[in-house]
Amino acid sequence: MKERLVEHLKAIIVDDEDLARSLVREYLGASADIDIVADCANGFEAVKAITELNPDILLLDIQMPKLNGFEVLELVQHNPAVIFVTAFDEYALKAFEVHAVDYLLKPFTRERFDQALALARERLSRKEVQPLAEVLATARNKGLPLERVLVRDGSKVHVIPVGKIDYIEAQDDYIALKAEGKTHLKQQRLAELETLLEPSRFVRIHRSYILNIERLARIELYAKDSRVAILKDGTQLQVSRAGYDKLKGLL
Amino acid sequence: MHPILADREKLFVYLAAWLVIAILIAALVAIPGDLGWSFALAFAIPASLVYAFICLSAWWLCRVYLLQKTNVLKLLGVYAVSASLSSSLWILLCNAWVWALNQSQIPGFSGERTVGETRLLFGIGVVLYLLAVAVHYLIIAFEASREAERRTLDMRVLAQEAELRALRAQIDPHFLFNSLNSISALTAQDPAAARSMTILLSDFFRRSLQLGAMELIPLKDELGVIRNFLEIEKIRFGKRLNVAMEIEDTSQHCMVPPLLLQPLVENAIRHGIAHLIDGGTVSLRTRKENGFLTIEVRNPIDPDRPKALGTGVGMENVRRRLRTLFDSAAHMDTSTKNDMFSVEISFPAKDSVQP
Repeated sequence: MKERLVEHLKAIIVDDEDLARSLVREYLGASADIDIVADCANGFEAVKAITELNPDILLLDIQMPKLNGFEVLELVQHNPAVIFVTAFDEYALKAFEVHAVDYLLKPFTRERFDQALALARERLSRKEVQPLAEVLATARNKGLPLERVLVRDGSKVHVIPVGKIDYIEAQDDYIALKAEGKTHLKQQRLAELETLLEPSRFVRIHRSYILNIERLARIELYAKDSRVAILKDGTQLQVSRAGYDKLKGLL
Repeated sequence: MHPILADREKLFVYLAAWLVIAILIAALVAIPGDLGWSFALAFAIPASLVYAFICLSAWWLCRVYLLQKTNVLKLLGVYAVSASLSSSLWILLCNAWVWALNQSQIPGFSGERTVGETRLLFGIGVVLYLLAVAVHYLIIAFEASREAERRTLDMRVLAQEAELRALRAQIDPHFLFNSLNSISALTAQDPAAARSMTILLSDFFRRSLQLGAMELIPLKDELGVIRNFLEIEKIRFGKRLNVAMEIEDTSQHCMVPPLLLQPLVENAIRHGIAHLIDGGTVSLRTRKENGFLTIEVRNPIDPDRPKALGTGVGMENVRRRLRTLFDSAAHMDTSTKNDMFSVEISFPAKDSVQP
């Protein structure tokens, strides 16, 4: 009866290797107040579980099929206390060091695990938020342009290779990605996405549009100082003066 | 580009030699007659320098008719014709020059002088041309030996580099730390399995180090290391990793550079199986055919996988080693079809002494 009074914490373990998950499960077994609510072997499962179960603690491996650990975090809106686990990933380690985020290196001792768990509990009690967005940005900034855009629709994840995007439109707090006749909404600022895309392929032609220049058929004069881009499928997009200059520079 | 024309220093030495020849020719034409030294020199120096450049043309013939690859009769024919033609051209130019000197208003030059016998000059022209041919062949031989020296040096450096890279690739940090983590997990759940994985890992590293120090090893030894490696990966990946091996019996005794295949199998897992939720099968096929050993590694891939940095380093390493060891006799082809990646290498098969 007494145990009922203690507030239980929900934990999710994410790792693509069975043995690695069972080890974390074993270490967590010592903490009676932690319930393991899900055990995920890949990024898709993790996004679904986190979205549906809203965990307090997330034990997250970086390298996984489909989505890596950072991509999982990019897609979920919850803010669990994350304990990062990795065997070796230069970029991830650099990001953790830069932003002073705690992480576990495989293999780790029970003492080290308990220490990381204690830190996570402390953060939870102080409602302290980790600088996850910054870690993500640093880890992602390998000097390479984005190759795929991830979009979450409920607990389902869509992976959209950038080559399939026709154009991206800003809509209030969201961006709408038009690809293969479908529209995907994502909570992100257009300017942020613009910096991640390859500048020779994706051009900000207007305050509200980024265009995949492979889709451009022609540009027509619409009124004085105002132009419109006609895409291969007939879609018309407004082109600002600065956007036109950028297009001219590329074509 | 002509080696003498391309190098200012060589050109200088070459023209200096021709200046000596010019003086000899001048003496030849001046001494018997009453030509006078000044006229002889005015004739011989420009005539020799012009011929110096005509003789440079021998280079292109020497390049086409390499000494080792052309039979003697053909060589004699080619150079008899080219020497006669060059010398005739020279005689024509010489006569024109003498005529020009005779016509000139320079005091002491005008008149009706001739410079010795045409036959003699023709003979000299032929001899000088043949001399130039000999010099060009010497240059070719010298450059070939220097090139050969450079190539052996390059090959040695490349081979050492490849060995180092192969060994470094062996200690892939992901593989090592994840394997150790698996052992850590097994220690509590299944101590016997933990022990056997420790031994597999030790065997793998020990064998890699041993074999890596050798130049060539029988394929069956290389396959031993690969089986060892795959057994460890099977513990890590569980049901996600399947392996299919089709090893043709005669291929087993072929000699291969050590740790050549290991990076290919490692790639198949790291860039293939590891990105697939349900995993897949890595297939390895070896066969000996028409004196060539052919090895193919195939694995399924996720077309949407994030492209990792450093992809292709292992592949490039294999390609370079093959090129160093077998030059153009080795082939390496990669292809991606229907979400299957395959890499095939083939090179001349050499059987081990004791099968």
